[in-house]
Amino acid sequence: MSKIQRKFVVPGDLVVKGDFEPVANAYRDADAVYALKVGLSEIEGDKVRIIPLAGRYIPRIDDPVVGIVTDVNAFAWTVEINSFFPAFITASDVFGKRFSPERDDLTRMFNMGDVVLARVAAFDRFKDPMLSVAGPRLGAIRGGQLVKVSPVKVPRLIGRRGAMTKMIEDSTGTRITIGQNGYTVITGPPDKMLVASQAIELVETDAHMAGLTETVQAFLTKSMGRNAVIPEPDYDGE
Amino acid sequence: MSAAERKHEFVDVLRRQQIEEGLAADRRLDGRKANETRELSIEVGPVVKANGSALVRLGNTAVMVGVKILQGTPFPDTPDQGVLTVNADVLPISSPYEEPGPPDEDTIELARVVDRGIRESHMVDMKELAVEPGKKVYAVFVDVAVLDVDGNLFDATSYAAVTALASARFKKVSVKDGEVVQMEEMVKLPVSTIPVSVTAGKVGEFLFLDPTGTEEAVMEARMTTTFDSEDNLCATQKGGEGFFTPEEVLRQMEVARAKAKEIRAKIKEAVKNAGKE
Amino acid sequence: MTELINARNIRIDGRKLDELRPIKLKVGVLNNADGSAYIEWGRNKIMAAVYGPKECHPKHKMLADRALLKCRYHMTPFSVDDRKPPQPSRREVELSKIIREALAPAILLEEFPRTAIEIYVEVLQSDGGSRVASITAASAALADAGIPMRDLVVGCAVGKVAGKIVADLNDTEDKEGDVDLPVACMPNLNLVTLLQSDGAMSKEDFEEAFKMALEKCRYVYDLQRQALLEGYTPQKEDE
Repeated sequence: MSKIQRKFVVPGDLVVKGDFEPVANAYRDADAVYALKVGLSEIEGDKVRIIPLAGRYIPRIDDPVVGIVTDVNAFAWTVEINSFFPAFITASDVFGKRFSPERDDLTRMFNMGDVVLARVAAFDRFKDPMLSVAGPRLGAIRGGQLVKVSPVKVPRLIGRRGAMTKMIEDSTGTRITIGQNGYTVITGPPDKMLVASQAIELVETDAHMAGLTETVQAFLTKSMGRNAVIPEPDYDGE
Repeated sequence: MSAAERKHEFVDVLRRQQIEEGLAADRRLDGRKANETRELSIEVGPVVKANGSALVRLGNTAVMVGVKILQGTPFPDTPDQGVLTVNADVLPISSPYEEPGPPDEDTIELARVVDRGIRESHMVDMKELAVEPGKKVYAVFVDVAVLDVDGNLFDATSYAAVTALASARFKKVSVKDGEVVQMEEMVKLPVSTIPVSVTAGKVGEFLFLDPTGTEEAVMEARMTTTFDSEDNLCATQKGGEGFFTPEEVLRQMEVARAKAKEIRAKIKEAVKNAGKE
Repeated sequence: MTELINARNIRIDGRKLDELRPIKLKVGVLNNADGSAYIEWGRNKIMAAVYGPKECHPKHKMLADRALLKCRYHMTPFSVDDRKPPQPSRREVELSKIIREALAPAILLEEFPRTAIEIYVEVLQSDGGSRVASITAASAALADAGIPMRDLVVGCAVGKVAGKIVADLNDTEDKEGDVDLPVACMPNLNLVTLLQSDGAMSKEDFEEAFKMALEKCRYVYDLQRQALLEGYTPQKEDE
């Protein structure tokens, strides 16, 4: 496999000339690929992608997201997921085919302000994102603390194969549920949730600096008064 | 806050295609070539109660302008100069997409672009419009009433405003012992040059002059250029959510400069003929 | 009247004919906005903020096939020598429109149907060339908001002062000079997105001024790109 090269780009920057395919946040014009966003360009084989460094969440089908219920009507819940469009969960997704607007009260399931973990079931530019709570662990999250992380920093918060999240969880004894949209729920004892949320904040501010793992590890060690559980170091966002 | 507003018919795909294919063959919907403007008719002095007036028809677009010359106080930074203002109103009778109310951004842009063409060409010598420097000057009000909209309000309005100014007559005043005395003789405004605005639209790679309403509905960008009698460029305004290549800009300048000469001759003739009556 | 350009071709503020005033640009300066930028250009001090793409209000303005781009150029009452009344002037209304139209060609509006993207430009202190400074800042703010763009947009004005073509007019030159020619472009694509002029110019004057404006845009672009780079590679202050 070819080595991945990264470089900082801004919109309009020439990323690479020649026969390359823009995969994400890049476009092709004549014989070259240009960046569409501020980010890090990545060329892998003949594929070019820009890992964005800014922006709201763009829904992708099957992404787990954490959302906040902002409206309920007779047929659906409106869920705020830190994106351009409000998302929806339809009543039939929860009540099944036998759903009847006359009989079933949606607020019995989720009410305004509830935090839910859901999966993006359908989305394209012309259709608001549709969420589903059918699946293991999906549904309302009834305890913990919601922190809002920039969606572009989520890959860093997860780390390579979940290493960053695991380090924070193991060191603080909390559980962290991360939505791809950046909304993240921490559960655990209050003092430990505080440390975990501070560690997440640190990941966010230092996300694109070298030595992130060491920085967070040092913070956890200091805060928890014992050695943090150290995963293998990584500089990889994905 | 500025936001694009649709002020034209919803253009169907067939019409769009027809316009694009036509431009590629240098044949527009109304049969014109890219560098041809629509028929221009200029009526001088239709409103006798104004000091100067004109009704201009450019194709189906109709604009009336009245000029009133009153007395006022100069601006503090130009105490020895008269005052000129252009005010536009795209009347609700002019199109189904216009409503009564304060001028929207398109109307404000129209007034300001026409104003700049007149002001920056120094068409009217403002220094000659001082009555008593620092205290009393002539105030020239150019009021635009757009009557019927079928594209290219910029040029139609500019021609009407310039014609109305060039043909305006007013009675001078003088101040004697603090009293304002009106003279009997009617005089012309001190006009030294005739600014002419020429607007082009752009669809794809094609630029064309004097767009109609339908063409404006599919247009990506617009460029209005105003030239004085010495063929100098006096004002430019790019509009629309599209762009021009630098080469297009330079090319269009020359197309417009030549067209401006043609139209200036028409305006001058109209003003001259009206003066004979 | 003051001499605008002396015998050695030096301008009233000590600049050479084609020299720009100092420019400082910083992105990510506001917490609540999705993207923001602050520019100091000569004595201009301008803050730009971008919100969105977000839900479009009012709903009847919503576009089915693209985002609605909104823009407000606003001068604070204290930004000029006299007090500017807070309600929008005709000049501000026009500038809001032409700034929007200068930025729109760069943005992939079609990626976000039914949403709105809001651009706010606040002039805290004004000087000559505030519209091109605003465009430069607003484009940086759009990039900072992560909004996909074909290219950045930068602006620079060129003018004619005391018979000579000069770059980047300051307030005095703008008022007392003969010509002002503000230009904005997408520098990599070499496309002009804003073009205005006032004051008489011969064909040769225009061609020289237009060429100089595009060259200076390139210079401003390098600064703008650098500002974005610095905004995304934060330097640790205590190091």
